[in-house]
Amino acid sequence: MKSAVPPTRAEFHEAISSRSDRWYAACLKITRNQDLAEDAVQEALLSAWNKRHQFQHTARLETWIHRIAVNAALQQLRKNRPGIFESLETDVPDETDTPERAQHEQDLSNELSAAFRVLSEVERVCFVLKHLEQWRLKEISDELDIKIDTVKQAIFRAVKKLRVQMQGLQGEPQ
Amino acid sequence: MNDDTLTLYYYNDGLSESERQRVANALATDASVAKRYQALCRDLEGLVDADIGAPPADMVQRWHEGLDRAAGIETQAAPRPAVHSWSFMLGVAVTAALAVGVGIGVIISGSEQTVVPVMEELIVSSPEARGSSAFIRGLQVHLRESEQGLSTLPANTESDRALLILNIIEQNRMFERAAEQNDSESLARVLRAFELVLVRLAADDITPEEAEELRAKLLFEFNVVLTKLTRNTSDEQQSI
Repeated sequence: MKSAVPPTRAEFHEAISSRSDRWYAACLKITRNQDLAEDAVQEALLSAWNKRHQFQHTARLETWIHRIAVNAALQQLRKNRPGIFESLETDVPDETDTPERAQHEQDLSNELSAAFRVLSEVERVCFVLKHLEQWRLKEISDELDIKIDTVKQAIFRAVKKLRVQMQGLQGEPQ
Repeated sequence: MNDDTLTLYYYNDGLSESERQRVANALATDASVAKRYQALCRDLEGLVDADIGAPPADMVQRWHEGLDRAAGIETQAAPRPAVHSWSFMLGVAVTAALAVGVGIGVIISGSEQTVVPVMEELIVSSPEARGSSAFIRGLQVHLRESEQGLSTLPANTESDRALLILNIIEQNRMFERAAEQNDSESLARVLRAFELVLVRLAADDITPEEAEELRAKLLFEFNVVLTKLTRNTSDEQQSI
């Protein structure tokens, strides 16, 4: 039922309690940094709260916040890595092993997330937005402010690398 | 036809209608393309969402607190609770340790036999109860918003009144279920009693006088419970 009643604080608290794990996971996959992911979720919540009167009840509150959180994660990434989406040529996978990175990898203890290590930032972000978040190519292009062909190429490269990587992981002895 | 085109076909994005038709024809007529597409689909479907663990409980707590601050609610100065779980229901599960002693006085509204609960005692007696702050805070928010809604009730149209009361009932049921699941039967009983009054308040055949009487009683009861909960969260172990 469509209603003009904005979501209540209780509904926000309920959404946090029931769905913040998914928002956090999406933000963590984009930023690969716990602090940035936490900040992204916090910003998303405040933004959603401030804009709650614009919330359309045709969507679910948690889905609406999820989308805002993903956008906030992208902003966090831009803020901390200026120019990150500007050039594919300089976009190389960061395979430096640091304690922080090791911790992140532990947090992302899933074959797919581990396989993300072979992806560059742009490839990872484009793949996450397309494959996991199911954004349209045009949306990704607009949000990252890069050409749609660049988005396509990033996704193609990501898919190729991940297929190779996943086949490698599946072939490894237990 | 390369895998890139097949990838776009899989995502149903980035191909024109004629390009999609061309791929569809190739899949129907060329066994090698069909085989490659099947392999691609299998691989892409295998790239499932990562099972990232839950965010730490203190992080979730910060999100709750941030929201409260944004909403202009004065949060209690109590130390950050040692929440043992992040999810609402699991958070609520901690309240299994919450000993809630509720004495329910019953006021029988003479002609309508409507039961209005009076919470006489609510005691948080367990250290683990600190982990229930998310639940208690949520309940406080529910009661405050219900109070606010009920205060504006007379000025609303009939349909707005019904919608408002239904929203309150829905929220009330959520907290009632949470209380039930955690063996806080006495608290669940109070919330159930609220619902009875709310349902009556939403009825078509209620007279303005009865509605006003029930509304006033509910406002009083909500306020009593809120006062006790607020006092309780600021002074653990204190019987209220």
